[in-house]
Amino acid sequence: MEILLIIIIGLLHAGGLYMLLRRSMFKIIIGLILLGNGANLLIFLLGRLVKGHPPVLPDGAKIFAEIYADPLPQAVILTAIVIGFGLQSFAIILIKTVFKVLETDDLDELNSTDEEI
Amino acid sequence: MILAVLSGFIFAALVPFFSKFFKRTIPFVLCALPILLFIYFISFLNQIELGSYLMFSYSWVPSLGIDLDFRLDGLSILFALMITGIGSLVFLYTANYLKGHQYLDRFYGYLSMFMASMLGVVLSDNLMTMFVFWELTSISSFFLIGFNNEDAASRKSALTALGITGLGGLVLLAGIVILASVGNSYSFTELLGSSDVIKSSSSYHWIIGLVFVGAFTKSAQFPFHFWLPGAMKAPTPVSTYLHSATMVKAGIYLLARFTPLLGDTYWWNGTLVTIGAITMIYAAIHSLFRVDLKSILAYSTISALGILVFLIGIGTEKALLGAAIFILAHALYKAALFLITGIIDHETGSRDASKLAGLQKVMMPVAIAGFIAALSSAGVPLLIGFISKEVMYEATLQLGQWAIILTILIVLTKIFLFVAGFWAGIKPFTGPLPKEFQKAHLPSALLWVPPLLLSVLSVVFGVFPGLLEKSLIQSVFSSISGSATIIDLKLWHGFNTALMLSILTLVVGFAIYWFLQPSEKNFQKTIRFERISPEALTRDFGNIFSWFAGFWTRFFQNGYLRNYVITILAFLTFLMAYRIFIGVKIHIDWDQISTVTPSEIIVVTLMIISIFIAIFSKSRTTSIVALGVVGFANCLFFLFYSAPDLAMTQFSIDTLTVLLFMLILFRLPKNKTYSSKTIRIRDGVLSLIFGTLVAILVLEVFEYPSSTDISKFYADNAYVLAKGRNVVNIILVDYRASDTIVETVVLVIAAIGVYSLMKLDLNPIKKN
Amino acid sequence: MNNILVIAPILLQLFAGTILLFFWTKTQIQKVLSILFSFLSLGLGIWLFLLTWKDGIQFTHAGNWAAPFGISFVADLLSATLVLIASISGLAVSIFSVGTMREERLKFGFFPIMHFLLMGLSGAFLAGDMFNLYVWFEVVIISSFVLLTLGSTKSQLEGAIKYVSLNLLASSLFLIGIGFVYGLTGSLNFADVAVKLSAISNRGIINVTAGIFLVSFGIKSAIFPMYFWLPASYHTPPPAVSAIFGGLLTKLGVYALVRTFTLMFGGDEFLGIMLSIIAALTILSGGLGALLQKNLSKAFGYLIICHIGFMVAGLGMFTEVAILGTVFYLFHDIIVKTNLFMVAGLVLKINGTQDISKLGGMYKSYPLISILLSIPLFSLVGIPPLSGFWPKIFLIQGGLASEDYFLIAFIVLGSFLTLWVVAKIWAEVFWKNAENLPVKASGLYFNQMSKANQSMVIIPIIFLSIVSLYIGFAAENIYVLSEKIAADLMNPQNYIETILGIKTILP
Repeated sequence: MEILLIIIIGLLHAGGLYMLLRRSMFKIIIGLILLGNGANLLIFLLGRLVKGHPPVLPDGAKIFAEIYADPLPQAVILTAIVIGFGLQSFAIILIKTVFKVLETDDLDELNSTDEEI
Repeated sequence: MILAVLSGFIFAALVPFFSKFFKRTIPFVLCALPILLFIYFISFLNQIELGSYLMFSYSWVPSLGIDLDFRLDGLSILFALMITGIGSLVFLYTANYLKGHQYLDRFYGYLSMFMASMLGVVLSDNLMTMFVFWELTSISSFFLIGFNNEDAASRKSALTALGITGLGGLVLLAGIVILASVGNSYSFTELLGSSDVIKSSSSYHWIIGLVFVGAFTKSAQFPFHFWLPGAMKAPTPVSTYLHSATMVKAGIYLLARFTPLLGDTYWWNGTLVTIGAITMIYAAIHSLFRVDLKSILAYSTISALGILVFLIGIGTEKALLGAAIFILAHALYKAALFLITGIIDHETGSRDASKLAGLQKVMMPVAIAGFIAALSSAGVPLLIGFISKEVMYEATLQLGQWAIILTILIVLTKIFLFVAGFWAGIKPFTGPLPKEFQKAHLPSALLWVPPLLLSVLSVVFGVFPGLLEKSLIQSVFSSISGSATIIDLKLWHGFNTALMLSILTLVVGFAIYWFLQPSEKNFQKTIRFERISPEALTRDFGNIFSWFAGFWTRFFQNGYLRNYVITILAFLTFLMAYRIFIGVKIHIDWDQISTVTPSEIIVVTLMIISIFIAIFSKSRTTSIVALGVVGFANCLFFLFYSAPDLAMTQFSIDTLTVLLFMLILFRLPKNKTYSSKTIRIRDGVLSLIFGTLVAILVLEVFEYPSSTDISKFYADNAYVLAKGRNVVNIILVDYRASDTIVETVVLVIAAIGVYSLMKLDLNPIKKN
Repeated sequence: MNNILVIAPILLQLFAGTILLFFWTKTQIQKVLSILFSFLSLGLGIWLFLLTWKDGIQFTHAGNWAAPFGISFVADLLSATLVLIASISGLAVSIFSVGTMREERLKFGFFPIMHFLLMGLSGAFLAGDMFNLYVWFEVVIISSFVLLTLGSTKSQLEGAIKYVSLNLLASSLFLIGIGFVYGLTGSLNFADVAVKLSAISNRGIINVTAGIFLVSFGIKSAIFPMYFWLPASYHTPPPAVSAIFGGLLTKLGVYALVRTFTLMFGGDEFLGIMLSIIAALTILSGGLGALLQKNLSKAFGYLIICHIGFMVAGLGMFTEVAILGTVFYLFHDIIVKTNLFMVAGLVLKINGTQDISKLGGMYKSYPLISILLSIPLFSLVGIPPLSGFWPKIFLIQGGLASEDYFLIAFIVLGSFLTLWVVAKIWAEVFWKNAENLPVKASGLYFNQMSKANQSMVIIPIIFLSIVSLYIGFAAENIYVLSEKIAADLMNPQNYIETILGIKTILP
């Protein structure tokens, strides 16, 4: 299963970057979201997979008796997801505003700030 | 001492705040400073005897060994006296020359800043401190040369001068740092002790190479000389000051100063003699083709600097003695000639050597000064120029196999300089007075006294060389050569080869002066060689360089985001691929890999399909939905592998994102394919390589045995210490609570950002 | 020494930002409060610096969970100095904003976001934990996004698209790097990670991870070939925003590079060579770019890149004296670049344009201001003995020590290009006569502003110029400080032991 996940991680990264290389602003956002998903999954996998043992103490127990999934990557990913959401929503609104002001989705038409040498 | 050096800066700093006051009280307050300094330095004369020196130390950056140490020996006091002495005259002269000028106060500010920097250069014992002042001379000369800043040519000259001397300065900095790291000190006095170590070190060639570039740029040696004629755009007092006694002599000073430290090696002598010889003869010839008095003087100055470099390069006692005297002789007559040119320009409005004539009828004292200066420049007996010339000839004649060729070179140079000096100092005053200059008259004494005074000094020292011998030149000579030989300056050297050559110089020089007139036609003849002059070549190089700058900048900063991403990505891929290729062995440890269940297969398939749909779909809505599915599949993975909290978060966030996307973007036009197929394939291949590399890395890191002591601590103490059962929650709200707090702040900021982005629009309102 | 007040600079800015949110449209109150808080923050910065200087590393473990379990906040000398310098810059920008920002922007949260940005910076400097650093980075970039786009003008948006995309890419890579580090060590605490990484024998894998961090921080610090977002965006927002960006944002990337590469990934030869090449090309690209710019701010933007190259060069040489140069340059650069963009802002206020070819006559019409502006300009060039001069000595010495002679050549080249660009700017903007300046699109000209507002523009420039002069003339003090920092960075033993509270032996 880990192998399959690794393939998916690779695919998410490849796909994300492919989308970042497109000319459409919309696709850039898609790419960034894919990359974010890939990174989360990557951390999750590197925390090692444990099936069916969430890091929650059963009632009455004070310490874990059996194995449990590593809680730290989960906490880290949780934070990363929420932060990612903040950034992504800003980016989404940004492209909307860009579209409103500049009336294009084509990034090749958005390079005036670079061109004026 | 420190006050003496820095007073110029203090003065300059005060100028902007008291400009009204300074403008009114000119010239009395303004000129007091250099005069006082001159007297101050004179007072040290008798304290410096053969080879001895005085040190004045003030702490600045002691940990680095960079301190304000001032060393007063023969060489530095000679320069200090020239700087303050000629400085006093220039200050006085300016008071009248630029009378009523709007920015006279600024001018004096720059001038005193420049004077102080020069004093710093020649007095500093610490090489880094010297460099500090060295750069300050470049900057203050930038302001002086560009003083007429509304004139485009002035600005250009100032930039050229700063460019050349600034580049030279930076190179010199590298040289000094290397020198200091070899000799383990910035102090010149201490370095002198380890002179042999430095000369035999492997960096020696680097050191002298870099020092040479520094000195040659400053002293306008071929091929860096061309900033100097350009710098003539400055007001004449500036030209006088910069080119007779100060700025350009700083390079000479540096070479002279370093002679006992770095000198007397094959490369040192060879390079200096070669460059000096080329410069002196090249510039001397050039001066014969100029018409503008200041141009003539500019090239003859370059030539004189070449002679000095040449003499220092020869490096024998006689040659160094010649250099010591010539520094002074040249300063005296060149300053006088510049000042006279300024007067002529001021009174007649012309600097055209082919037209000017007969001015002695209207300004006799100036003419006398001019005559004497020209004669000293020519090296006529009874003038200091004669003594220096005799010593020079004697020095080159001593050189064995090289004697003939070097003597011919210096004699030729001297002949040409004879002519140039006569054109500048005598020609404008003799002959009939043309009509157009009838109205010229003798200016205020403030203008003509300084050059006359300089000329008189040339005579006094020429007739009584003994005045200088013990008091000054002896100690200058000792500090340049490091030798204790007692020198003997004589007016009369007997009938020897040097005297014959002197006579030859005078005769031939006079003959050329008699037959060759400065004319515009001759000047025009040089223009066709302009193409291959160092100046033109440098300009070409500059043009190529800025073309390259444009090319490079447009190539990388081309405006297309996708190119930026691909560059970054390619770089990262290269870094990773190279490392994985040479340093990581790929292997899979199947023991760590868990088995696959059917439900997982379904989710994986679902995920792969939706990734592809999200990427390749033509419709935005489909893309977004597919993206949502990717997120939900992710969510299922979290659920399978014991992360219920994560699954919940992912689920809600994913839903929110998709909703937001839909709400905001559903009105956008259809997805378009902008790029060509080739580009898409290229991008696809690169992305896949990157994805594969990431996957390989993940695999390798995954294989690496993990350490779990931190998670174990969290789990073990979750209930015991933190009173919670869900360890993930405990981490979020307790162990790593600060992350969570900050995360909230991020959301708040994002919310504000979204609000402001939607509400605030400062674009000019569109018309239509 | 364990000291909970280490986080006071962060909390103060958080408090400031939050309080300011409550005065959303009351811009007058915001102005006063912002300056007030900035002064307080400067005071705190000085206090923290002095404490660290006297008593050594100050740290706290959030929630009292000892390292490596809780999140550590660490003020070693480098962090404390950077917090101090950031607060100096922050104060200057705060005053400058009062003088120059348009009311509309102030009514849409400029001041709160600015303080959040400063909070993020302090947090990032003080973070002793990798993921925590990530979170602070996110605070910084989201605030910078908001500040960059505030006003949504056409050029702002065009710049922002590139800025946002590339910075989000950098964050993503940072996260991947964190994943790898966690996979290898099971830890996130800097000190702990350093110890555990040094025990791993498979250097290949660590070096790839280091490469990912290099690219992630490289994008943020605008090094070659990752600087593209900077020239595209830095000149688009109002000058006050450019000033804080130019002074502090790229330097945060440099700080992260310095911290991670001295503490965790140091000593790899290949990365050293890569860093040296990158540094050389960064200097070249920045210098060449600045050479041809017609827009003043954009030229300054390229100069930022050029000088980032200087700092990375020191990191590439990786000797103590070279790191000393990097650190010294970092301090100088934050102050002078902040000031520079304020200078550009003032030029814009006076003339209504930043087009170098049209500008002119400043020296004639504003002589005193021109002389004032020459201080940051010449400090930037490093005319000795001003502040930019000193670090170059150390960088050249470092190049000698590590035999990176080509880097010395590039440093000389970079300095020369800087000199040339600044001299040209001086000749054009200050000396030349102005011709047909375009009419200012919005806002008042400088001479139409009230005396009070005028001084709000001038005072911060004077303030930072004085700091620059101090760095230059009292180089002794900065040298001693930087030397101590460089020694600490190159020998992280003390840092690790203090944080982990145990004796460890690094191989």
